[in-house]
Amino acid sequence: MNEATIQKIKERLATLKKLPGIGQKSVAEVLEEHGFTRRDFLKWSAAMAVMLGLPTKFSPLIAEAAEVSDRLPVVWLHLAECTGCSESLIRNDSPTIDNILFNFINLQYHDTIMAAAGWQAEENFEEAMEKFAGRFVLCVEGGVPTKDGGEFLTIGPHAETGLEKLKRTADKAAAVISVGTCSSFGGIQAAAPNPTGVKGVYQVINKPVINVPGCPPSAKNIVGTVLYVILFGALPAVDNFNRPKFAYGLRIHDLCERRGHFDAGEFVEEFGDHGAENGFCLYKVGCKGPYTFNNCSRERFNQHTSWPVQAGHGCIGCSEPDFWDSMAPYEEPLANHKFASATVDATADKIGATILVVAGVAIVAHAALSAIKNPKE
Amino acid sequence: MKITKKIVNKIEGEASLKIYGEEKVDFVEIEFWQYRGVESYLINRPVMDALVINPRICGICGHSHLFATVKAIENAVNAKVSKKAEILRDITVGLEIVENHIKWFYITLFPTQIKDKKYIFKAGEFAALISKAIALIAGQYPHNSYMVPGGVTSDPTNLEIIKLKDLLNKIYEKYQEKIMDLNLNSEDIELFFENLPKDIGKSINRFLVLGDNLFFKKNGDVNLVKEVENSSLSKNVLYNGEFVEVGPLARNINNENIRKIYNNYKNSIFTRILTRVYEGLLILEYLINKIKEIDICEPSYIKCGMSNSKGIAAVEAPRGSLIHEIEIKNGKIAYYNIIVPTQFNLSSSKDKNKLSAAQSAMINEKKEYIDSIFKCFDICAVCVSH
Repeated sequence: MNEATIQKIKERLATLKKLPGIGQKSVAEVLEEHGFTRRDFLKWSAAMAVMLGLPTKFSPLIAEAAEVSDRLPVVWLHLAECTGCSESLIRNDSPTIDNILFNFINLQYHDTIMAAAGWQAEENFEEAMEKFAGRFVLCVEGGVPTKDGGEFLTIGPHAETGLEKLKRTADKAAAVISVGTCSSFGGIQAAAPNPTGVKGVYQVINKPVINVPGCPPSAKNIVGTVLYVILFGALPAVDNFNRPKFAYGLRIHDLCERRGHFDAGEFVEEFGDHGAENGFCLYKVGCKGPYTFNNCSRERFNQHTSWPVQAGHGCIGCSEPDFWDSMAPYEEPLANHKFASATVDATADKIGATILVVAGVAIVAHAALSAIKNPKE
Repeated sequence: MKITKKIVNKIEGEASLKIYGEEKVDFVEIEFWQYRGVESYLINRPVMDALVINPRICGICGHSHLFATVKAIENAVNAKVSKKAEILRDITVGLEIVENHIKWFYITLFPTQIKDKKYIFKAGEFAALISKAIALIAGQYPHNSYMVPGGVTSDPTNLEIIKLKDLLNKIYEKYQEKIMDLNLNSEDIELFFENLPKDIGKSINRFLVLGDNLFFKKNGDVNLVKEVENSSLSKNVLYNGEFVEVGPLARNINNENIRKIYNNYKNSIFTRILTRVYEGLLILEYLINKIKEIDICEPSYIKCGMSNSKGIAAVEAPRGSLIHEIEIKNGKIAYYNIIVPTQFNLSSSKDKNKLSAAQSAMINEKKEYIDSIFKCFDICAVCVSH
């Protein structure tokens, strides 16, 4: 990240600043109304810079980018999903700056939170398509049913299929972000036998897609990705599954609070036992942390309150492709089963087996397990 | 006769209404055109997988689905649960209902009359506090699998319980201050009804409660519920051969304060909305008392075995009675069926003399009120499309 990059970002932000905002008030004013001071805002920018893997000298730029976030039109499509990602983002990690920013971005269309409904909503959508063609960011929540022409999901008065709507929207988008595992890889609907032929967004459109998987992904990862796009006017560095490296560069296991117990060979053997009471490692009751690339153990959920492993249930591997099939059964260790996902090489199977057979040699296992790098770098 | 097709979104997905009539609604059909197939991919999976898959039926009431799954399995295998685990489950399921009601009122229903983004923020602030409280026990919100047959996986410390008590009290106080007080006064509800009659949307007046969680008392038998196909991708649900209404009004109809409102406005849109918002307060009050009974020395989990058997369970979810049914064979799921509250309320009958709750509420009303009336049932297209 040299001076030239910073200069480029500054120029980009200057261009964005010239565009009209959506409201009468500036982002700074809205934040102030919600009780956030300038100091809070700068602290948040610094934290966001760290999360995005940028040097701290970028934090003033992030603050600037956030301030012009209302200039960037966003269209949010709901396809086959459970609305959990929107839940995660718009209602649960607040009232933080992330949440307020999301509510303040130039959201042209979002089925759940927009004020319009019915025909009016449809009109808004078509208008946004025309007015912001080639300029808006498309966020997609949910997988795309493709079987029988995609008729298992129709939207709007003309019974347009989700597949058609996605294609024509993506055609006009400046960038496409798949929010959550469903839009990234198909998600739960795509689990075997996948009755409606659901696919991930990247499999049905001809455009680069950035995947922000997770079931649900943390608000930080979603907002971080959108901010990155605003900052650089480009997609962040990704792994082979198109996941931003800043969020999916490490395994859950790498920063897990129970990691010390794994290394010491201390495991929960079954729910409710002595190990569970003492917060031992959950590998033997099915934790998929060693096979899962995400930052949950660092960022946590709901205002940094907790995450599944803290509540005694193992990671289910929700940010990996096809995890509904490849990581099941969810409450048994993978080592008992053939691990078919492409995300981890064969070593994982062997290591898992080693741990189960000789739990005591976990340290050795760990050394080998650490050799599993993110294969897609 | 004029037939209008109306798409209703902002209901966590969308539904289409086929409306017959000119000024007023003569008849209406309700259709859902989404399908995901959760029941089909549960088949042949290990029983415990249902605990992880089923919350994903709905990102808005995942706890209720998890709870119903756990109870169905527990009923099948005769599992025992400690009082501590029961209270912890009550807390997360109860808080989920409170959170749902707030979000439904301000985010889904409110914009049908008042277009002002500040109410979305208002709901967001409550949702944040509530989600934080849920996450203290369950790990995260939405979507977690902390309930397992035999109890829960979390073992909260005294400190966490104190934090939780504190949060519950804070939410309760804030609720009274900003949403509704204990005398059922609510500025926001009055604002909502400024240009909307309070006595529209009267329905079939047949109320059903099948779950017995929290302080709700069941008044029916889950075995009398029948699911039948309709013309869309959803299914109709009948109780003892009749359509019924489930949800907050059904489970609080005998509450003294609600009775007073009901005597004046009957089962109208006003009574329905008021009851749903009031229920949030009642649940918080119940939880604040219940949490005092937690004995952290009790086990969180009591081991249970798996056996070849069938189990069915009904719980009260935010929108009403939710049913899960499982058949276990050799540790795997041989059959799974889910009936969601929206199906009860939003069944679509072709017979004018036998209408579902939502159909009945809309018929004979002015078309301009349809959006508000339809949404006062707290519709969820996401769970219908399971």
